[in-house]
Amino acid sequence: MENNVNENSSSVPQKEENINTGDTTQLPVLESEDKSDAKSDAKPDAESDAKPEAESDAKPEAESDTKPDAKPEAESDAKPEGEADGKPDGETEKATDSERDTEKEESKEEEEKEKEKNEEEKEETVEAEPESPIPSLEKVLDEIDQFLVTLQQKVDAKESTPLEIPNFIPVFLHLVEQKIVKYDTGETKWGETIEDDSSLLGCANRVSRLMNHFIEYSRSHAVEEQEEGEEKVVRIDFMVNGISVIQQRVMSFLEDEFRTLMEESRNPNKSDSKGKQQADSLESEPFEESILEFPGFAEEAIANLNKIAKEMVASGYENECSQVYALSRRHALEDGMNKILGYEKLSIDEIQRMQWETLEREIPTWINTWKECTSVWFPGERKLVEMVFGNEADIVVGLMGNISRSIVIQLLNFGESIAMTKRAGEKLFKLLDMYETLRDAIPIMETLFPDDIMGEIKTETTSAKCRLGEAAVLIFCDLENSIKSETGRTPVAGGAVHPLTRYIMNYLRLACEYKDTLEEVFKEHSKIERADSTSRPRYETDDSKSKSENRHREDESPFAAQLMRVMELLDSNLEGKAKLYKEVALSCIFMMNNGRYIVQKIKGSAEIYEVMGETWCRKRSTELRTYHKNYQVETWSKILSCLSPKGLSDHGKVQKPVLKERFKGFNAGFEEIHKTQSMWVVSDEQLQSELRVSISALVIPAYRSFLGRFSQYLDPGRQTEKYVKYQPEDIEAYIDDLFDGNAHARR
Amino acid sequence: MPATTENQGSFLGRISIRRNQVMSMDGTHDQEMEDLELFQKHVGDRFSELLSTTTEDSSGDALLSISWLRRLLDELLCIEAEFKAVVLMGRDPSQIAKPPLDKLLPEFLDRFVKSLDLCNAVALGLDAVKNLQRLAEIVVEALEVTPLGDGQVRRAKKALSALIAAMLHEDNANAKGTERNRSFGRRTNNSGSNSKDRVRALSWTMARNWSASKQIHAMMSNLTAPRGAESSGLAQPVYIMSTVLMFVMWAFVAAVPCQERNGLGTHFPLPRQLNWAQPLIGLQEKIAEEWKKKEKKGNVGLLEEMQRMEKLAQSLVEFADSFQFPPETERLDEMKRNVEDLAEICKKMDQGLEPMQQQIREVFHRIVRSRAEFLVVLDQAGKLSAPAV
Repeated sequence: MENNVNENSSSVPQKEENINTGDTTQLPVLESEDKSDAKSDAKPDAESDAKPEAESDAKPEAESDTKPDAKPEAESDAKPEGEADGKPDGETEKATDSERDTEKEESKEEEEKEKEKNEEEKEETVEAEPESPIPSLEKVLDEIDQFLVTLQQKVDAKESTPLEIPNFIPVFLHLVEQKIVKYDTGETKWGETIEDDSSLLGCANRVSRLMNHFIEYSRSHAVEEQEEGEEKVVRIDFMVNGISVIQQRVMSFLEDEFRTLMEESRNPNKSDSKGKQQADSLESEPFEESILEFPGFAEEAIANLNKIAKEMVASGYENECSQVYALSRRHALEDGMNKILGYEKLSIDEIQRMQWETLEREIPTWINTWKECTSVWFPGERKLVEMVFGNEADIVVGLMGNISRSIVIQLLNFGESIAMTKRAGEKLFKLLDMYETLRDAIPIMETLFPDDIMGEIKTETTSAKCRLGEAAVLIFCDLENSIKSETGRTPVAGGAVHPLTRYIMNYLRLACEYKDTLEEVFKEHSKIERADSTSRPRYETDDSKSKSENRHREDESPFAAQLMRVMELLDSNLEGKAKLYKEVALSCIFMMNNGRYIVQKIKGSAEIYEVMGETWCRKRSTELRTYHKNYQVETWSKILSCLSPKGLSDHGKVQKPVLKERFKGFNAGFEEIHKTQSMWVVSDEQLQSELRVSISALVIPAYRSFLGRFSQYLDPGRQTEKYVKYQPEDIEAYIDDLFDGNAHARR
Repeated sequence: MPATTENQGSFLGRISIRRNQVMSMDGTHDQEMEDLELFQKHVGDRFSELLSTTTEDSSGDALLSISWLRRLLDELLCIEAEFKAVVLMGRDPSQIAKPPLDKLLPEFLDRFVKSLDLCNAVALGLDAVKNLQRLAEIVVEALEVTPLGDGQVRRAKKALSALIAAMLHEDNANAKGTERNRSFGRRTNNSGSNSKDRVRALSWTMARNWSASKQIHAMMSNLTAPRGAESSGLAQPVYIMSTVLMFVMWAFVAAVPCQERNGLGTHFPLPRQLNWAQPLIGLQEKIAEEWKKKEKKGNVGLLEEMQRMEKLAQSLVEFADSFQFPPETERLDEMKRNVEDLAEICKKMDQGLEPMQQQIREVFHRIVRSRAEFLVVLDQAGKLSAPAV
């Protein structure tokens, strides 16, 4: 080391004389000579080139000379270089021009030695070790730094860089080699002492800077060197070769360490046991846990990874480094999705063949995987890649894209395949769950992924989302078909609520829990519909009136329009079914029953009520009242006519036979009604009591007054007993039997 | 998806308008026959062109090269659009519900579904190719350095052996992989034992037990050319579309790394007597020949760029093995030429793989969309023929 500095300082006078020697240590001379040779016709220039160079060469080196602790060490440091070097070194401190010749010889010797050394390095032996103590690495590093700083200053000042290979470089390489051998053989282990590790990284840094320097030199001076002759070219090349070998060894080691760190960190013992639980109980597991768990790298490991990545990137081994990173993370995620989240990859073909019951169970896992990915995994990945690769924006974006793109597409494929399965009413809700998952994932992903990745991811996610939405729309529209295809000709006994009504209303009530999503899906779909009307059938509209009505509603909400349409279809279907009853009164009861059921369901769900609106409900209630009225007229008007005083008296005299007929008629009629209508069904208690109350209010006062007014005309005793079978209280009791669905045998 | 309708162009519009006119006049089926013949002719023409560039023009796209495969995908998309125009557009649903289509179409749509998985497998395979490309880039990067030293050569060699191992042993890779080794070219690694897991390490996997060759076979089943009267009806385009789709998928599975290709087979029946099938038969024979050559060795795929990459990698390995510093100029020059070629391939891959993946994805979306459209029509037809259950 010291000797190099000395030799360099001794090169100053040589330079001034422009003497050409083959000496390594005097290469700055060659450099300036090269220049002057190259520009032989511009001599003054060449001189001015040479001078400042020599000066600037000398200055920093002189500084390093004056370092107090440099000297004592230097003497011992010099020894491994051989005694021949050591002795003159001390003298060259005061070297004069006259000593130049001898020095030249020595330097030549030295050069040969160095060549040998290079050869040795190629064979990766460490022969020098037993013979002599190694110079301290810190010292060599200082010198290398100094050397590099000087070079950089020259580059910055746009001065030509001198070609010099100071002797401390081989020494340095030798030391690095020893270091890496220790690591390779396991004598030193990565992660044991931070000092060792950062020293290795420090060396790697110097190695790559030296490498860059010499390659740069070799490149920029290639032409001149050819003119200069083989020898120097070869010298530089040997230097480069030596450095490259060390560099490759260090990088190879760092790559392995990087890999080990990546692999170790992603297999923390915790995640396995914890993960299984999480897969079993998807909802109960708190999320904070997994935030700590994922991606599961200790800070120390990340710091290490970052340091290694930095050196590998700086040394041009960026590809190796990011490749290792990408593979490791991909496997971590692939395994993690399966082991931690329980997500099983299924082929699209397979999914089409699976039972819905089985498939249905996969959906919560899929949804959970998405949530986990967007809330924990992707942010975790992003953070990790940023912490490891720091400012290398290109690498960060590249890796992030590489890792997340495939995952996203694979997850989306599941969504696509579910949307492709055969449509069925019960699938609607799961499809909407999936739709919501994707809808909510998009804005989150937008904050996570850089724009150039997000473009494709967004298109793909949106497309899968639309597919799911479309399937949901079609399933919902299939309700129309299930109503239309319900064409049973057997009336429901007793005019009770039709199963179709129950099914549709309960389905709608459930569907309306997803009202906002359905609105959204319908809006999107009607847009697609309008844009691409070639293949899709528009919802057929029966007559022009409902057409214009539909169009009006469609502007507000296509979903509401569809819902209305379903209700209308249900109504008309029910009306058809009502006609199946022979008795008009019973069809009224049937319509009331169903109508009541529908209104109750709608009022019971705020969402559906909101869609259908108050007006609709009021209209419905009015209709119900009409049916009620019709029922009353149908059933009771005939029997009530018996109780009318009209036609009973002739010139103020009650006609007894007519009166008897009236009583007989009433009794028979009432008995008949009681017999049939107590078998009719009104299961809604309120409706039932409303009906009974209204019937009572209609019949009882009339009967009471009829009785009060005319019973006196009957002879008391047998005759009265025969014709006045019922007291008003009895009538009331019998009315309470109506619509019970049972045949009462009170009589 | 608007993308699906873009390519259909005016030709399709014309067909459907014309057909509507024909229908409404209730005339003969002459017009329809003409459409069908035109469709067949177009299919034949498209594949003739694909075949001719591989034989006549050496400067053109080589068989199974990235640019050739991308053209193949383009043609597939065009044929599919035309197919839909012929079979679906403006047609009365009841025609589609009639025999033999009532049987053929569900089978056909099932093939559509099967091809979706193949699309995904191919996209993942292209990911694996990208990883090979990255390894090759390391080789290029290392060997481009001058002056070239032992360090660079060792660096290149490491990447090369990973590259070659990945290319040669892919087909043995299976999806078990519990104790797989995901390092490539790890120094301490004895290269033989875990090599099968390496390509698995290069890309994502499909579903467990999924097999590309099984999927192809499943697509082939029940695929027979329509005979007799059927051959002039709509059964013909349905058969053509199935065959074309299957051929394209088969070619891609052969070209890029895919999960489980054992028994992929080199031959599937194509109707020799039909004109449109001739160029397909020509291509099938060529690809099958290539496949047979490589099958025994175990190979990662017939993708032309990969094949060349493998050859270059082999000769660069030779160079690296015998490298001694200082290098001989002659060998160096030869190496440099190889590296230049390799760099050229990397560039092609860099430019072509990504768009190809997007095209595959487009095919995927198109198939999903078309299937949905067919289902809608079948649905309508079902309602018409059986109004009440």
